[in-house]
Amino acid sequence: MASPWKSAGISYLKFSQICATAVRNSLKEDVRVAAQRRDANNLKVAKWANGKAGEQKYIVTPKAVE
Amino acid sequence: MNVLARSARAAVKPMRMARFYASEAPAAAVSDKLRLNFAVPHQAIYKNTEVQQVNLAATSGDMGVLANHVPTIEQLKPGVIEVLENASTTKKYFVSGGFATVNPDSSLNINAVEAFELSQFSPEAVKAGLAEAQRTASGSGSEEEKAAARVEVEVYEALTAALAK
Repeated sequence: MASPWKSAGISYLKFSQICATAVRNSLKEDVRVAAQRRDANNLKVAKWANGKAGEQKYIVTPKAVE
Repeated sequence: MNVLARSARAAVKPMRMARFYASEAPAAAVSDKLRLNFAVPHQAIYKNTEVQQVNLAATSGDMGVLANHVPTIEQLKPGVIEVLENASTTKKYFVSGGFATVNPDSSLNINAVEAFELSQFSPEAVKAGLAEAQRTASGSGSEEEKAAARVEVEVYEALTAALAK
């Protein structure tokens, strides 16, 4: 029997991420701040030319930087 | 202990054709202690620690694991993991979901994305999260958004139930 989230097109990875985010949201203030930092993953890229790094750019600009 | 050994034998018996299974199961009690590894990506909560019993909330149902348990792999629901360290100390963790593997050598590995002791949760935050998720679930978003919100509702409901105890 498939889970309802599975039939709605949500993968297991996505499902576990949704669950983890909900758990982090429910924490007390002090632990929550540290936990929610783990929720975000950012990727920056830079093009190298002639042995020098070009400008670093986010793939997806995080809200905190915008 | 006797009851345990009997139930373990009973569970192994129907597998007689699959010889590899029987040979991997412990012939006799090597150790009467369960060894627990409990890890989240950023921390090892228990590392090869001897404990008495661990109660899991698996998708196939709630289960208690003692030493010499029949080997199995279980998917964990968002729910409570109860670690009975010894006769007097019990710790309760809420995990967001993950997997538990019970090995033939009386070791138990639990992997979860997030795990926190129940005392670290804020009942107000759970209540607010539940209301928000319920609103989204019955709102006018896309089918996928609503399905995601229903997953959240389940997590918050499990948390509410865990904290009410």
